[in-house]
Amino acid sequence: MPQRAALVLVALCALLPLALQTIGERQVYWLFVVSEFFVFAIVAVSLDLLMGRTGQISLGHAGFVALGAYSAAILNQRFGLDLLAGMVVGGVLAGVASLVLGFPATRLRGHYLGIVTLGFGIAVDQIALKWDSLTGGDQGIHLHRPMLLGLDVGTPVRMYYVALIALVVTALLVYCLGQTRIGRAFAAIKDSEIAAAAMGVPVARTKVLAFICSAFLAGAAGAIYAFLAGFVAPENFGIESSLLFFAMVVVGGMGSIGGAIGGAVVVDAVKNAAATVSGLSLAILGGMIVLVVLFFPGGLKALLQRRRRAAAPVSGLDGVARQDA
Amino acid sequence: MTVRFGGLTAVHDLDLDVPDRGIFALVGPNGAGKTTLINALSRVCRQVEGSIRLDGVDVLSLAPHQAVRAGIARSFQRAELFPTLTVLENLLVGLHSAMRTGLSGALMTPAARAEEKAARQRAERVLRELDLWELRGAAPGDLPYGHQKLLDVARALVSAPKLLLLDEPFAGLTDAETPRLLDCISAAGKRCAVLMIEHHCELLEGVAERMTVIDFGRKVAEGAPAAMRDDPEVVRCYLGTGRERATAEAAC
Amino acid sequence: MTQYLLQIALAGLAQGSLFALTALGLVMIYNASSVVNFAHGAMGMAATYVAYVLIEEVGVPFPLAFAAALAAAFVLGVVVQTLFLARLRNAPLMSQVVVTLGLFMLIQGLVGLAFGYNPRRMTESISLAPVILGGLVLRPQDVLELALLVVLGIALAAFFAATKIGLGMRAITENRYAARLMGIPVGRLLAAAWGAGVMLSAVVAVLAAPTTSVTPNMMDTIVVYGFVAAILGGFGSMWGALVGGLLLGIVVNMIDAFVAPELAMSIVFGLLILVLYVKPDGLLGRATVQKV
Repeated sequence: MPQRAALVLVALCALLPLALQTIGERQVYWLFVVSEFFVFAIVAVSLDLLMGRTGQISLGHAGFVALGAYSAAILNQRFGLDLLAGMVVGGVLAGVASLVLGFPATRLRGHYLGIVTLGFGIAVDQIALKWDSLTGGDQGIHLHRPMLLGLDVGTPVRMYYVALIALVVTALLVYCLGQTRIGRAFAAIKDSEIAAAAMGVPVARTKVLAFICSAFLAGAAGAIYAFLAGFVAPENFGIESSLLFFAMVVVGGMGSIGGAIGGAVVVDAVKNAAATVSGLSLAILGGMIVLVVLFFPGGLKALLQRRRRAAAPVSGLDGVARQDA
Repeated sequence: MTVRFGGLTAVHDLDLDVPDRGIFALVGPNGAGKTTLINALSRVCRQVEGSIRLDGVDVLSLAPHQAVRAGIARSFQRAELFPTLTVLENLLVGLHSAMRTGLSGALMTPAARAEEKAARQRAERVLRELDLWELRGAAPGDLPYGHQKLLDVARALVSAPKLLLLDEPFAGLTDAETPRLLDCISAAGKRCAVLMIEHHCELLEGVAERMTVIDFGRKVAEGAPAAMRDDPEVVRCYLGTGRERATAEAAC
Repeated sequence: MTQYLLQIALAGLAQGSLFALTALGLVMIYNASSVVNFAHGAMGMAATYVAYVLIEEVGVPFPLAFAAALAAAFVLGVVVQTLFLARLRNAPLMSQVVVTLGLFMLIQGLVGLAFGYNPRRMTESISLAPVILGGLVLRPQDVLELALLVVLGIALAAFFAATKIGLGMRAITENRYAARLMGIPVGRLLAAAWGAGVMLSAVVAVLAAPTTSVTPNMMDTIVVYGFVAAILGGFGSMWGALVGGLLLGIVVNMIDAFVAPELAMSIVFGLLILVLYVKPDGLLGRATVQKV
């Protein structure tokens, strides 16, 4: 995604709360919806790092989000942990937990990994429900008012900016990673493990690293979500959530940060719009995924790139557009 | 350098000695074990009996990704490039072992940026030598096949290996594309040892200083290409090559 | 105590039959087309709704409705294979996984839209009283499931070994290109394999309906266990799927009885990861080598 467009979008997002002030009371709802979208976008970017960039299927990503959310929630409820510390703890815990998946991932073929990650997501969900002495079971956990380094960020507007800044930072980190040695190694593994190894990439270790990075970001996002919603319960982190994140990455276009965020916009919009009719959002998202795979393999991102390329024809190999942010 | 095999079903007790510099060809009919040899040397193939030593290092103790650091780099029969990355980035992956930036790359620390800059300069130098520099931002999939094979070799060269393994580098190239790759390989032969599998025996005469013929995994003949022309085994190789080429062309 | 254990084992075998039948369908589809059908459960569920509608709203007798469901399942399998999967023949593995997942969401969503998520009751297929044999309680339902597994298992084995279609399917598995060159109608056999695979899923769903009720996510748990069973069996061997399923059924029932039913899946996956760490190709699988 060209840098200028990205800057404009960030600026617009930064100004949105001001615009929302005009609608009075309803702004609280919308601030929450967009903040929640920012958090989902972080998860989508993290999943794209794993699936789109490194080629590792993950059908249980909500599990990492849950781990981050619950660790932040538990520590906040009992010890008053603040938002930043919650993010770090959540991220680290999720990262460590990802080793459970990372090591098998190095040995498993694609669809085995998919099923194992599915199981991981289900397992986290079940354990969260069952271990009610720690997690509050289906009652969930309520968090205290969020604090960030001594500052009270408990208002909708302040949490909005926290989520926005977190998303921007995440996007920058992942982008920079993609431009350097490790990011290239991830892509090499996806394209050809054998060639990557021949070039000196320690494939197994690097796959595990991809899992850890992806899980860390998802866990940190989970922590933000916990503070944002003020409440965590197992129903937010089940298989349906994992499938939503999966849809975001697929629909947006795999291997692209902008794609993941764009996919998050579409999927979140569909989810919210169709929330009242049971089954509708699932059907629409499923249909979208099928259409994307069959007819628009690059997802939304490729669609937009095609239109841009058609509008401004490019001559010579030098100008061949390639996947960046 | 001494390279010795034994016990592989594809390669039987093959004894091979490769000096520091120069181009050495490995020739033989399909299925003779040539690619297996390269796979063993680059550690793609793990079940090898016997010993392979490179500058005193036991190659067989290495994992596949450690081969580059030991000085062994290779190209592939079908190029095996990374289509997601640009031409330049493909080369930069070849420098993975030479670099140390880890996750600090995401933070763009001064050390990371310095290392990245140095690596890019190194890779761009190789591209310039091969006249590929203008294409550095292109997607490998968009390049003509001749360029792709050149890129495959360039990627192996960027790590300044001691031993360069080339698996049929000229396969699939047109007559127009061949000279460029030939020059590249000749130049490489002055800096390191190049072990090349090739069917196109005519090309080898001008380039390779020594040719080893293997069949059914055994060494069958060895010597300078010009002197080997009348060797009956080599004649079989020429004839075999002709028939294989004809079949390959018919199948395409 | 042994009485208790035997009872659990029996229940385990019965439930395991469902897992095994699901796994058999998955493996059949995978063997023919190299695709893991993540929509397997949903497709069987959709066919069950056909039976449900016929029984409860049209008043069709059970055997006829069951047959109709099987037919619907077969058609669904054929349609999915020819309309969706055939186009992706040369696409990377990820695309195939993604498309079946998308289909899972689509099918489950559509059924949910049409019928809602409220559980529906479908009248028991067998309404006989349980039999007491040697101190063990035998539910006719369980016996039926086991019997069906045995019958279908033998039938499938014979089918693949002896009939022309079966041999053709095995040829496709070995080498699709060569099979096509030899005049085997690959497209039609692929469609048939999918149809048959989905039919097996429908059988499982109808058998499970009295326990799970008819809802859009009725097959979710069973199909996940079906995956696990298929993996344990090596995801290629029909016998592996069968044994894996039965074994898994017993393990799950043991966990239900001695640990906690709500943690069954978590523990199963923990065990699966351990198994796969030691044997990455499943308990009974054969290692596959990649050619460079």
